[in-house]
Amino acid sequence: MKVIECTDLAKSYFGKKVLNNLSFSIEENKITGLIGRNGVGKTTLLKIIAGFIKETSGEIKVFSERPFNSLNVSANSIFVDDQMSFPPALQLYELLEAASSFYPNWDMELAKRLFDYFSFDPKGYHNRLSKGKTSTFNAIVGLASHSPITIFDEPTTGMDASVRKDFYRALLKDYIAHPRTIIISSHHVDEIENLLEDVLLLKDGRNHLHLPMEELKAWAIGLKGPTEKIQEWVNDKEIVYENKIGTNTSYVVVRNDFADSALQSARLAGLEITAVSPSDLCVYITNQTKGGIDDVFKER
Amino acid sequence: MTILNTEGTKPIYVQIAEWIETEIMNGHFNSDDKVYSQYQLAEMYTINPATAAKGLSLLVDENILYKKRGLGMFVTADAKEIIMNKRKNYTFKRLVQEIVLEAKRLQISEAELIEMIKSAQSEEGE
Repeated sequence: MKVIECTDLAKSYFGKKVLNNLSFSIEENKITGLIGRNGVGKTTLLKIIAGFIKETSGEIKVFSERPFNSLNVSANSIFVDDQMSFPPALQLYELLEAASSFYPNWDMELAKRLFDYFSFDPKGYHNRLSKGKTSTFNAIVGLASHSPITIFDEPTTGMDASVRKDFYRALLKDYIAHPRTIIISSHHVDEIENLLEDVLLLKDGRNHLHLPMEELKAWAIGLKGPTEKIQEWVNDKEIVYENKIGTNTSYVVVRNDFADSALQSARLAGLEITAVSPSDLCVYITNQTKGGIDDVFKER
Repeated sequence: MTILNTEGTKPIYVQIAEWIETEIMNGHFNSDDKVYSQYQLAEMYTINPATAAKGLSLLVDENILYKKRGLGMFVTADAKEIIMNKRKNYTFKRLVQEIVLEAKRLQISEAELIEMIKSAQSEEGE
């Protein structure tokens, strides 16, 4: 079943288009990673799904209805980021208790356990938490809400490596016990790749790729070897990334539509063939400019 | 897919499948034993259950596991033999190709190569 469907979705801020003809759908109970460069519209998209902001044009359906001003969508979704606002007068523990009245599936037992595990002070206040602790607390609320649609927008901002690891594991364990639709936006593709079932990659305000993680991993391959030999192999291929190493060695990432036999003969011809990590691939695909940071430093 | 395995990391679901194969090979699971569920595997490896399921279905396709509806995945009677054949005819063959290719790059002669294998074998035998 599709829980989120959008068609030609667009959003402009002050005349500037952020989202542009976005069309995709998300199946129930999958974990989807939303990947894209800064400013590409990830947060905007997530907030439209959660019903926080209105689309400019096009259609968005969450549980088959328009999320903006929908009580049904509000009651069945949660949007977690580091800007979540909580009543400043309430102590942290009181916030958890208050949250239980907002979210019908709230799991107080889980909330308490995570709260203790990450050693929060029940009498502490949310606006006095550090950046990492704020994110951790918000993530606890997001997990314990057990919302049918759970959205994490950069949930790990400020978290240290060990907390991030714990969070991913907690997310997965809780997801296995209580399957639900989860969307995570993150720049740490390498950290979340194994958690994800699907990847939605935004570029220029639209969905550039939407496919299962396992397919993304096989989507491209890297070829390394003498430049002229590489050219022979890739001249009719879609080149995703190209890098010259030294004077006559090249590393080229191309769309993987090679037959197995072709790869085999490339290997025998002495080319090095490697898998491309999803994290690198996302960087290559979403690069807005041709070239790279090195071009900035070229002779003026 | 499998061609990729030379340098880069193997897809997780392939690693999962191979790990279960190894568990079968070393007798941890015998024929008609129930193996781990996709959810157990997902938890063990902190991976998406769909990925774990893909690893299991890979083994079902190769007749190493069979599915009992509602009960889980079980080891087939021929599992060990199938795994052995596969590793011999595929994985091992590739390994040998790799060695031959590297030998060519290093200009190691055939006789030298055979000599190296022999000495490695006798070291192993000691």
